[in-house]
Amino acid sequence: MLEELASTFPILTCILFLPVIGGVVLWLFDDEDMVRTSALTIALLELALCIFVLLRFIPESAAMQFSEHVPWMPALGVSYHLAVDGISVLFVGLTAFLTVLIIIYSWDTVRHQVKLYMMALLALETTTMGVFLSIDLILFFVFWELMLIPSYFLIKLWGGGAERHYAALKFVLYTLLGSVFMLVGIALLDINYHQWATLRHIEPTYSFDLLALLSVPIPLTQQILIFWLFFLGFAFKAPVFPFHTWLPDALLEGPIGMAVVLAGLKLGTFGFIRFSIPLLPDASKSQTVVAIVMALGLAAILYGAIMALVQQDFRRLLAFSSISHLGFVVIGLFALNFQGLQGSLLTMINLGFSTAGLFFIAGFLYTRQQSTQLGSFGGMAKQTPLLASFFLFIGLASIGLPGTNGFVGEFLILLGTFKANWLYGGIAVTGVIFGAAYFLWYYERSMLGPLGKAVKDSISDLRPREIFIAASLSAMILWIGLYPAPFLRIMNGSVQALVDRLERGTVASIEPKQTARVD
Amino acid sequence: MTFVLPMSFPDLLLLLPEILLTSWLCLILIVDFSFPRLRNEQLAYFSIAGLVATLGCLAWLDYTGVTGTLFANMFALDRMALFFKMFIVGSTILVILSSIDYIHRFKFFRGEYYFLVVMSALGMMFMASANDLLTVFVALEFSTLGLYVLVAYLREDIGSNEAGIKFFILGIFAASLLAYGISLVYGETGKLVFSDMTSLQATPGLAIGFLLIFAALGFKIGAVPFHSWIPDTYHGSPTPVTAFLSIAPKGAAFAILLRMFLVSLATFRPIWTLLLVAVSILSMTYGNIVAIAQKNMKRLLAYSGIAQIGNVLIGLATGTKMGSDAMLFYLLTYLFANLGAFAIVIAVSEAIGSDEIDDYSGLGRRSPFLAFSMLIFLLSLAGVPPLAGFIGKLYIFIAAIKEGLYLLIAVGLINVVISMYYYLIVVKKMYVSEPRERSPLRVSGPIKVVVYICLAGTLAIGVYPQPVTDWVVSAILVFSNVADPTASLPVAPPVIPFGG
Repeated sequence: MLEELASTFPILTCILFLPVIGGVVLWLFDDEDMVRTSALTIALLELALCIFVLLRFIPESAAMQFSEHVPWMPALGVSYHLAVDGISVLFVGLTAFLTVLIIIYSWDTVRHQVKLYMMALLALETTTMGVFLSIDLILFFVFWELMLIPSYFLIKLWGGGAERHYAALKFVLYTLLGSVFMLVGIALLDINYHQWATLRHIEPTYSFDLLALLSVPIPLTQQILIFWLFFLGFAFKAPVFPFHTWLPDALLEGPIGMAVVLAGLKLGTFGFIRFSIPLLPDASKSQTVVAIVMALGLAAILYGAIMALVQQDFRRLLAFSSISHLGFVVIGLFALNFQGLQGSLLTMINLGFSTAGLFFIAGFLYTRQQSTQLGSFGGMAKQTPLLASFFLFIGLASIGLPGTNGFVGEFLILLGTFKANWLYGGIAVTGVIFGAAYFLWYYERSMLGPLGKAVKDSISDLRPREIFIAASLSAMILWIGLYPAPFLRIMNGSVQALVDRLERGTVASIEPKQTARVD
Repeated sequence: MTFVLPMSFPDLLLLLPEILLTSWLCLILIVDFSFPRLRNEQLAYFSIAGLVATLGCLAWLDYTGVTGTLFANMFALDRMALFFKMFIVGSTILVILSSIDYIHRFKFFRGEYYFLVVMSALGMMFMASANDLLTVFVALEFSTLGLYVLVAYLREDIGSNEAGIKFFILGIFAASLLAYGISLVYGETGKLVFSDMTSLQATPGLAIGFLLIFAALGFKIGAVPFHSWIPDTYHGSPTPVTAFLSIAPKGAAFAILLRMFLVSLATFRPIWTLLLVAVSILSMTYGNIVAIAQKNMKRLLAYSGIAQIGNVLIGLATGTKMGSDAMLFYLLTYLFANLGAFAIVIAVSEAIGSDEIDDYSGLGRRSPFLAFSMLIFLLSLAGVPPLAGFIGKLYIFIAAIKEGLYLLIAVGLINVVISMYYYLIVVKKMYVSEPRERSPLRVSGPIKVVVYICLAGTLAIGVYPQPVTDWVVSAILVFSNVADPTASLPVAPPVIPFGG
């Protein structure tokens, strides 16, 4: 009886709406400490729900699990369909985890309009969860667009930089530009489904459901058109070079919490692996598409790394290193083999710990020096040994030192890429070297050597709250680095199904493996 | 030749809403003249009572499925006409509610204000049912007559007078184009009723005639290149009148456009699709680009309205049932977002006496309610999910993609991004800029009611659009010939339930 209750309990809906409902409840409190405590409680509760889902998730399976399906607008074929599979479930956990850390970080660093900040943050969590949980494309699009609103206010109202208004507007308009193209792609898929369903008298004749759309064949030319429309949407958000120009501005001008979300949760590349590749397998493996996307990925790796090398500001450096890492993810995805896809998926999760971790470090530095410019650091390792150690450890994870999570992901990506085409692999490897160079050089100039002139005498080492953030991230980094098997096991089933689908294409996939549901 | 009206008493039922409103109109005038001491709120609520009764009557007709034609097909009551009539009456109610506080600015003739608004609404109801070109002309002029006076109602204000004169001269010009177009069409075909003109021969006279009619209706809906009256008229008119102008006449004109294009000109669809695509692209692009530079909220909404009409025209350009469904749906979402935004403009201008966007600075702190509602309305106009405007845009774009109008879609989508830019400028002013004064703003009761209704509409249609989609889908069923483009069925014979 308890088991039955557990299987019908709409846990994903709870995960989706708990933060935003919690945010509304925050409105009732006036005391700032009360607001912070309740926001943290809500985020922890959310994390607990996500951990429950992760524990109950059946690994090595391609099935959509915890599925919830209710018609929403039957006339248009839109439904409220939530589910997780091996691709999305880890992102759900990661989002909840990072939100908890952001709230802890913001405890004493956000000082004005605390209530509004926490509400915006929780609203952002809901929309991000929505992106990861939605199986219906319109539902996905709704959350994808809604994300912009809390993000806009977060950058604008709590950003530290002078140019934050410009950065917020640029972020919104760029993402919106990409997503309107994606919307056309979604509509084309719907029309294609409609034509197929009318011919075969299948009800309903319109559908935006990923599982339904997977079951119909799509002509190759149509697939390629839709692929590029989706590509624009995801590439602007990811951002893939050359659509990246908003990212350094948004990360530099926005608050640290926002930067952690933008850099830590790879929504754009998640879109590729969730929608583009499975829905449009023939387009994804067609030669021109692979060549162009690979070229963009490789260009991003090198461009990001070289730009990172010359940055004076730590947050700008991180922005460009993010672009470079995304290049890796993209080439891994479009190697289109098991290792590449798995490596990319794992790297996306890894970046949620390492890049986001470095942004927290940037935040710690900012709290101490009111700047993240190189000029205000120098030789700080002696004054702040703990900060310097965590800085080094998380940084090494981000450049892929063996024993950390970054190594596992990057290794799998390179393996997959070499398997697909040794030339691409060869170019990508140089990116790894650049990556080590820009990080270690910056680290040396900021932390080692003689004490910088601008470093304050009263500078203090990490406080307990900050140690907790850094330590929990480091623990995750070590766990994935040393024992990645549980994470890989969760992904395996879905990644294998994706590889199978890539081999078969859409035509022969009337009943693909992925539509099997275990509810 | 003698002219006989084949009409029995039960047929009058089809005219019941109009008869009801006409009698109420006389009552308003009588009450206003007989009780000069009557406070104008009371007269406003009295007018609203009549409009609500009319709305109820329309809903009842829609519910019971009464349809039919009168006066030798000149007047058609079908579900589409009912949709537009409810649209018009609903928006009139909201406009009158938001006028109640504004009215004190008029020095004279406060009572007649309500009379004129309701009179225009009555004219528009006839437009929604107009099934032949003469009715179109008469109803259109009848509805505009009241508006000419309303636009210039602020007698002491130069802007309002300028607006009135511009609107009057251009309106008369459009009316003459309409009359000329009708005469050409009649000369070529010898017919006036839309549903009789199904098998037309393409002749130059006919083409020019319909183009002139389209120009006159384009003037009503404010599509580029017939938009030149809009910015100044919107800016100068009393704000409630601007709100009224921005929604009700457009709905009525779209009813006529739908009948004209989908019934009379159905065979020429490839040609008029091109025309509408061009007008739609021009309207969207011009409206949005010029809106960026605006400093005045009313002008901004005027230009954004031009752009929104461009979006609605996408639906008409498809020429399919789905496109027309989407159009009606879009108009309904536009009604709530647009009237809501204007209600806030009225509230702010009552409180601080200005419509300049700069004076919206810090509205988020001075009145969180107004600022938040404005945010919702602007985001709905921009098409952000899950608000009504998003579903409207989605619906219209899907219909257009289905017909392969890719150029139109591309332009439409780029315009979504442009429009987001200037809506966000207003949002920035409200939430980020420092206010000049910090005193909280007082919002009056009736305006609050309007804002709540519009908020509820915008959110409810966005989250649960199913009832509304069902409604518009059934309303457009009257054009059975466009339901399925492959079948060439004649227009279904109208159902006359009273054995007329």
